[in-house]
Amino acid sequence: MKNDLPALRAARSMTQADLADRLNVSRQTVNAIETGRYDPSLPLAFAIAKLFKSRIEEIFEP
Amino acid sequence: MTTVAAPVKTAGRAYIIELGLTMGLYMLAVTARPWLIDHAANPSLVLAAKLSPVFPIWLTFLVIWRYYRRIDEFEKLKFLQTIGIAFGVGSCLIVTYSFLEDAGLPQLALSWAWPTLAVSWALTGAIMSAVQHR
Repeated sequence: MKNDLPALRAARSMTQADLADRLNVSRQTVNAIETGRYDPSLPLAFAIAKLFKSRIEEIFEP
Repeated sequence: MTTVAAPVKTAGRAYIIELGLTMGLYMLAVTARPWLIDHAANPSLVLAAKLSPVFPIWLTFLVIWRYYRRIDEFEKLKFLQTIGIAFGVGSCLIVTYSFLEDAGLPQLALSWAWPTLAVSWALTGAIMSAVQHR
């Protein structure tokens, strides 16, 4: 699944580690989501959307 | 809203420490076992001495379960994939060796099954990690 996470993160000057801390996941998990190696669960996708004040479909696209 | 427990960041370090302690306890129990059996005062203590390595083995399972509970969803997926493949390979190795015993290889105690599975798990983890970081 494609996503705009790197751009959203960069716009807020956040590192992968910063985002991982905010989401309470590991940095490897953030990296796997950003590179499309892992599709987050619905609760984690909602947490990401809430953090970036966006809708899930604005961040993720199939 | 997240799906993970709080100590995700420290899960790996805590796991290494706890696993090291239980493995140390296991080595101690295995090493002291013959002496304890020889010096046990009654049959109940002999039985307790014979079973002494079992306690750290169950503690190890508890440590692994605690680690699983602490990690996040992606780490859980990797963990389960690794353990599934490793125990599949390990089980095949054990069954293969049991037939090789009929072909003349030395008979091994059933207690070799756990180290076989543990080594299989470690190797599978290392291979999967190397593949993911290529």
